[in-house]
Amino acid sequence: MPQVPIIMPQLGESIAEATIVDIKVKPGDEVVDDQEIIDVETNKAVMGVTTPCKGKIDKITVQLKETYPVGAVLGYIEASEQDAARFAKHAPAPPPQKEVAEEIPARADQEVAPARERKIAARDGDGERAGGLPVPAITKGATFMSPRVRARMAELQLTTADLAGIMGTGAGNRVTIKDLESFLHKIENQTAHEASKIRAGVADAMRRSWTRPLSTIGSSVNLDPALQDRQSRDPKPGLGLYALRALALALAENPAAAAKFIGNRVVQSNSIDIGIAVEAEDGIMVPVIRGADKTSLADLTTKYKELIELARQRRISPDMQAGGIATVSNFGIFGMEWGTPIPLPDQTLLLGLGVGKRFRRGTKRKRIRPQNRSANHLKLRSSQHRRRRRQSFTQSA
Amino acid sequence: MSITYLEAIREAQAKLLRDDDRVFIYGQDVGGAFGGAFKATKGLAKEFPERVLNTPISEDAIVGTAIGAAMQGMRPIVEMQFADFSSIALNQILNNAGTHYWRTGVPVPITVRLPSGGTKGSGPFHSQSMESLYAHYPGLIVMTPATVEDAYTMLIEAVAIDDPVVYCEHKYLYYHLKADKLPDKGLPTGRARIAREGRDLTIVSYSAMTQESLAAAEELAREGLEVEVVDLRTVKPLDTDTVLASVARTGRLLCVGESFPWGGTNAEVIARVTSQGFHLLDAAPRRLNAKDTPIPYHPNLWSAHRPNAKNIVAKARALLRE
Repeated sequence: MPQVPIIMPQLGESIAEATIVDIKVKPGDEVVDDQEIIDVETNKAVMGVTTPCKGKIDKITVQLKETYPVGAVLGYIEASEQDAARFAKHAPAPPPQKEVAEEIPARADQEVAPARERKIAARDGDGERAGGLPVPAITKGATFMSPRVRARMAELQLTTADLAGIMGTGAGNRVTIKDLESFLHKIENQTAHEASKIRAGVADAMRRSWTRPLSTIGSSVNLDPALQDRQSRDPKPGLGLYALRALALALAENPAAAAKFIGNRVVQSNSIDIGIAVEAEDGIMVPVIRGADKTSLADLTTKYKELIELARQRRISPDMQAGGIATVSNFGIFGMEWGTPIPLPDQTLLLGLGVGKRFRRGTKRKRIRPQNRSANHLKLRSSQHRRRRRQSFTQSA
Repeated sequence: MSITYLEAIREAQAKLLRDDDRVFIYGQDVGGAFGGAFKATKGLAKEFPERVLNTPISEDAIVGTAIGAAMQGMRPIVEMQFADFSSIALNQILNNAGTHYWRTGVPVPITVRLPSGGTKGSGPFHSQSMESLYAHYPGLIVMTPATVEDAYTMLIEAVAIDDPVVYCEHKYLYYHLKADKLPDKGLPTGRARIAREGRDLTIVSYSAMTQESLAAAEELAREGLEVEVVDLRTVKPLDTDTVLASVARTGRLLCVGESFPWGGTNAEVIARVTSQGFHLLDAAPRRLNAKDTPIPYHPNLWSAHRPNAKNIVAKARALLRE
């Protein structure tokens, strides 16, 4: 009887492989169509692999606790001619003939790491290959860099991100040294100038930030109470400082919101130190206010003024910019309504402030009118704990 | 005029005998009318009857005698009938000749000729390549000429060198390889040669594999792939600089040798390039050797056992795709 392969199904978006946790049938068992015969575990859930058609289990080619990629053959069913014909067009192509082994391996060699061998074998014909091994989808493109490409990049002070625009011609579309050189040759005739230190620093921080998943959420906040409070103070704090103070208090209540996820540990800060983005001549500096939750608004105002002055004189040292757990960026002062601010690479949270607008009270249709109530559009950007942060913030505000 | 690799070796010995009284040839059946198993000394005994000498069938005794003569100021050339048999003289070559100068300050300028490498139907005891084994031991120079010209000039150079030299001549090249004329001078000992220029891939090889690599490069050139072929000429000393300079041009390295794969010259070249030139590599270096089994008799098995132009092309193509 013809055989129909049992295939590891696509178990969900972004799932590339699954581990066999239970095999419910053995060779010779009769099975019906769509019967659950193998349980597999992904990083999301345990799911059942079902038979493609009815028939008799011929063999199971996988082993418990081993991991196999989507599309791998898990076993075979002896099926009717009709079913087999139906699956024939989906059947995987026979594996390509391997080159004659360079060295005939000694018997001892063959016994080494059989599990790994099997896994690699299971991925055979699975698309791109580099160095004889399959290339996982996520490592395509510029991710694999040969020692030579790395050396050349170090020489030219290039970063991985600089390679992102290069079409790789190597295995798995990797960027080879030739690709890099021809790219460099191509940009030779374009106008270029040396980036300033601060510019390069900002760009580098942004690149590192982009190595993490980012998400942005936004919410409108009524600023009337802050504006009223402001009238009673001298000197008058900026609205950004109200936001900073609010964020500091919120983080003091829920410090986990700004914690860092390092390896498999959640690392919390010992002190609520909040950075504030300050425009400098050729970029942005982020001096940090230490213990912002324990600093009164009046003291914040004084400190902020000092920092602004130092920033304008370019006298903000790296120490003064280090160690923050979150940052406030007030792009509203440029008239921006909203933005997608990116947290610094060593932080997980950034609060952006859009421009305040006045709304007429009591009308059904909102109409923007000058000199009326004001509200400030606030943007929060965080790679973690977004929901809680937003609640905390709105409570504090 | 056309001269073969084997004739070049004979010519070199004739010239050495003519030019230098200290030179004599010592080996099994090298003298008389026979002129050696491969006729590398044919006719020499007629011209120099007292200096082309037959020996007992004892490699150990042959090299031992030559060492003694060398210590007394002679320049003996020892012919091993097959490289494989030199294993019987390992003690003399490695322990005595290789260490003598370092122990006593007295040099041992012997040249041991090893008819090396495989030919069709020669089997396990008449086909082996011993260069990597000798290169492992200190105190020896190991030459592996790949061309008629080198076969000539390097043998003359071998006799001139005060260190013991193991001169690995390839039997497959004896009759296959021809040149128009013999040069007066070759590259210095220890200098590799760029046998073919290219920019896509460096193939490092020596002896007969240089010829196979050149044929492979020719084949790949038809596909627009430019392969640079480095002929090591001497596997010891190893010209790391030339190899690194070539890898710097191409970014990719394939080492091809006819000896067994475990350790050896290819492994040494790759070790040097990865430790000194890791930053030059755009792909993992590869090597191609004979299989790790005794060399088979059957011509079909033999051609599957050793690297040849065809599987060099396949290996190079795979490496160029990485």
